[in-house]
Amino acid sequence: MSFPKKPGGKALDVLQNLPRITLANLRPEPGARKTLHKQHGGNRSGRGHKGERQRGNRPRLGFEGGQTPFYLAIPKYGYNEGHSRRPQYQPLSLKRLQYLIDLGRVDPTQPIDLTQLVNARGVTIQPLKRDYGVQLVDEGADIFASKINIEVQRASEGAVAAIERNGGVITTGFYDPISLGILIKPVPFFLRGQPIPKRMLPGEDMVPYYTDAENRGYLADPEKIQQARLALAKKYGYILPDISKDELYHMLAMRKDVRQIFFGLAPGWVVSMPEKKILKTTDEKLLKYYSS
Amino acid sequence: MAASMLCRRTAMLCRALKGLSCSKTVLSANSQSGFLLQTASYNPKPLKLNLREPYVPDKDSEKTPEWQKTARYDRKLFGRYGSASDIDPASLWPSHEQLDKIIAEEQEWHPPLEVMLKNIEAKEKQETEKRLAKEKLLAANMAKMPKMIADWRREKRETKHKLKEEKARRAKLLVEARERFGYAVDPRSPKFLEMVAEIEKEEKKKKKLMKRRLKEEQVVAPVTPPAASS
Repeated sequence: MSFPKKPGGKALDVLQNLPRITLANLRPEPGARKTLHKQHGGNRSGRGHKGERQRGNRPRLGFEGGQTPFYLAIPKYGYNEGHSRRPQYQPLSLKRLQYLIDLGRVDPTQPIDLTQLVNARGVTIQPLKRDYGVQLVDEGADIFASKINIEVQRASEGAVAAIERNGGVITTGFYDPISLGILIKPVPFFLRGQPIPKRMLPGEDMVPYYTDAENRGYLADPEKIQQARLALAKKYGYILPDISKDELYHMLAMRKDVRQIFFGLAPGWVVSMPEKKILKTTDEKLLKYYSS
Repeated sequence: MAASMLCRRTAMLCRALKGLSCSKTVLSANSQSGFLLQTASYNPKPLKLNLREPYVPDKDSEKTPEWQKTARYDRKLFGRYGSASDIDPASLWPSHEQLDKIIAEEQEWHPPLEVMLKNIEAKEKQETEKRLAKEKLLAANMAKMPKMIADWRREKRETKHKLKEEKARRAKLLVEARERFGYAVDPRSPKFLEMVAEIEKEEKKKKKLMKRRLKEEQVVAPVTPPAASS
């Protein structure tokens, strides 16, 4: 009695037992790809017939035979004037954030900070290239479904709505460049042996943004923020979930102080990594400075 | 104690800080929440602190390079080796003089929030005032416009009318001259000008007579009614 043969047979065994297919395991069928070889030989070595082309005397790039070239004919206008002094914010889409949460790279049961995002390699911030932090973009707002407490530097209205719709909390906070450098790489900072500095306030041009409840700024009035939450819910047409009844309310309500860089660490403390200790100063003058 | 000084904003933050200082690890939070949430634990690069053979440069010898005797290097040593490097932790914070300098710099370059808000308000006020003044001016001028347009139109009509009249008068004079002299006289010739002067004189005389007559009538008219009434 012959047993019924397994469909697929040896091929199926091979597929099940060999390692996963990657680019390293694939190779095109011989004869499928024709390699393109460099030019070799030819009566004029591929240079054409007489003239500047063959003699290698072509004019500079952009020259149009004497006609005013395009790059000179167009009048100057200050579109890019001062571009290197403009603050930049690395975009973070809600789609990517959801991806990171789903893969477990970012923990939604703890407040999500720029440090957490950089640790998860979700964003790359370069403070030396005028990056002032991360901005939330509302791409993927329709598929976003996590309740998180997130702190970014800028957020679009759609992103704010998407996060609050799922019962989360979003805050926009300002980090001056030194604080930002410390925030994204805390361990090298602690190895420097310096006391944690206090976060500086935003400049006059950014103060209106961070004192506005619409942007959930960290300098704004908490009551106005609550009103703004309700207004946004009305505008986008969802019911604002009551986070005070949530079991994670304590975590969602965690917010950093205006001068604080890290949760749980205050300015003026020195963190000693080898001994896993925190050193705090007792001098009144220093304490007064660090707590002002 | 530093924590209490920071909590001047809201009570929430106070609770938050106290809460975090005694918060549990991630996994227990997961188990409390009920559902299992896998978190890929972040694998940091191992910190090579080299605690077995710490290199602490000899401050007194001349062979050590200058940059290893600076305060900055001392802080880095402390950061790497902790108390194994014999560095007084009190030197990590700025001294009183340095602190004074820092405070002065901050006062100059980083004004407090209230000052900044005031500046912003002042600027906004100025801008709105400017805008309102401009708009007021515009509105006032626009209100004047109909009258100005009517005036201008009237002026134009009058000048046109005057020109027409002038032309008609000249034509009449020419005709008059033609009749008098019998041939077309050039308006620039002295004859023509004499004729014009004569006509003007006659007209003046006529006007004077008319005025006298009107005056006499006016004198007669008020005298007769009182005479009639009385």
